[in-house]
Amino acid sequence: MGTVNLRGKGESLPDLTGKVHQLPCCIKYDGPTAVSQYFKPKPTGVEIDGLRVEEAYFRGRKLQGTTVPLPQGYSGFVLGKTSLGKQANIPEENPNCWEMKAKFQNVTVWNHDSLPSQNDAFLRAFHWFAVAKSLHQPVTAEDLESSSISQKLE
Amino acid sequence: MRSEAALPKWASKPCMMGIDEAGRGPVLGPMVYGCVYCACSYQKALSTLNFADSKTLKEEKREELFENLKTDESIGWAVDVIDPRELSSKMLKKHKINLNEISHDSAIGLVSRVLNLGVLLTEVYVDTVGDAEKYRIKLSERFPSIKFVVAKKADSIYPVVSGASIVAKVTRDRALRDWVLDETAENMHRNFGSGYPGDPETKSWLDDHKHSVFGFPTLVRFSWGTCTSYSKHLVEVLWESDAADEDGLSERTRKRQLKLTNVGFTASKRKSEEIESSGKGRCKFFQARKLELLSEF
Repeated sequence: MGTVNLRGKGESLPDLTGKVHQLPCCIKYDGPTAVSQYFKPKPTGVEIDGLRVEEAYFRGRKLQGTTVPLPQGYSGFVLGKTSLGKQANIPEENPNCWEMKAKFQNVTVWNHDSLPSQNDAFLRAFHWFAVAKSLHQPVTAEDLESSSISQKLE
Repeated sequence: MRSEAALPKWASKPCMMGIDEAGRGPVLGPMVYGCVYCACSYQKALSTLNFADSKTLKEEKREELFENLKTDESIGWAVDVIDPRELSSKMLKKHKINLNEISHDSAIGLVSRVLNLGVLLTEVYVDTVGDAEKYRIKLSERFPSIKFVVAKKADSIYPVVSGASIVAKVTRDRALRDWVLDETAENMHRNFGSGYPGDPETKSWLDDHKHSVFGFPTLVRFSWGTCTSYSKHLVEVLWESDAADEDGLSERTRKRQLKLTNVGFTASKRKSEEIESSGKGRCKFFQARKLELLSEF
């Protein structure tokens, strides 16, 4: 079972807001690369479903995307394994323990050949936030009372 | 882009037009379609202007002829500059558009544009792209009032097409010379060469500007075969649209390739390709949103 440590150093984390991109392809590479020098999103002026459309090119493909803010009360985090060694480079890592390496407040979601839409799976995943809120909200005495009333009425 | 602001008088008499392209073969830079038109009665005078197939002329001579052509009030011209980003992305779309189609569309666009100006086009001469007869039928069906002549080497046979080839070639050369690279990496330079894959200068420019993740700057036509020869130096990138291409793939492989679209962790227990959350085995709400519960990561 993996654990994620979300405590501490929240303020000092690098902020990647505006720099997190979800691409419609699998890039078989992990590591740093010159994103800001090569990947140049541009606004198109088009708005669809209330989403501002941007365009960019990657490997000759035209991508159309939109930047979506994470809902109030939520944050995005880049996680990395907690290092146990004194030096960060030592491969001695705790295999199941993750910690925050950076945070972000929006994500730019890109499609190949199709305009962004509220029906894109990534945006639909956000529906969970509302459902989760209702599911996890503490039930108050009033809630119980009103639900028992409605049961009696049936 | 057009030479005259107001429509000249001769444009209401029967006119002829030549269309030609420059930069079809190069691995980088825009492809340009150009056209030149004039009254059919001006044809004789046109042949005295010494237009020849632009490839046989020196650059200075082409520039000079283009300037003469622009000041000649009996001639009209127009160009369509097709950005390399547009060429690559159309040829790499999920439903691929090949270069011949892009070329046909550009020529059709030029004919429409000139007709919309009010020019009475009756004859149009075009160099062949793909099958000449099929191309002629396509153009004739689109513009029934125009007689189309589609011929190999039209640029050396018909002066009006030679003129178009000069317009196209000069425009392409200038566009490449003045190209503003979108990328801002260090040590980039502008010694593009001609852009033809065989040109040593172009080859060394490609070598100097290849990038393991991004491939090349967007000036390069990624859809060109020349670029595939560099692919061994590049990080592999898998696209959903590539999967449909390869026939004979097993259903499993296909499924795996189609699963590339979404977020997810690339944990050691999963194959690196299977990066999409599936929501498998969960209630429909999660499946539809591809939300998966992860406890092992």
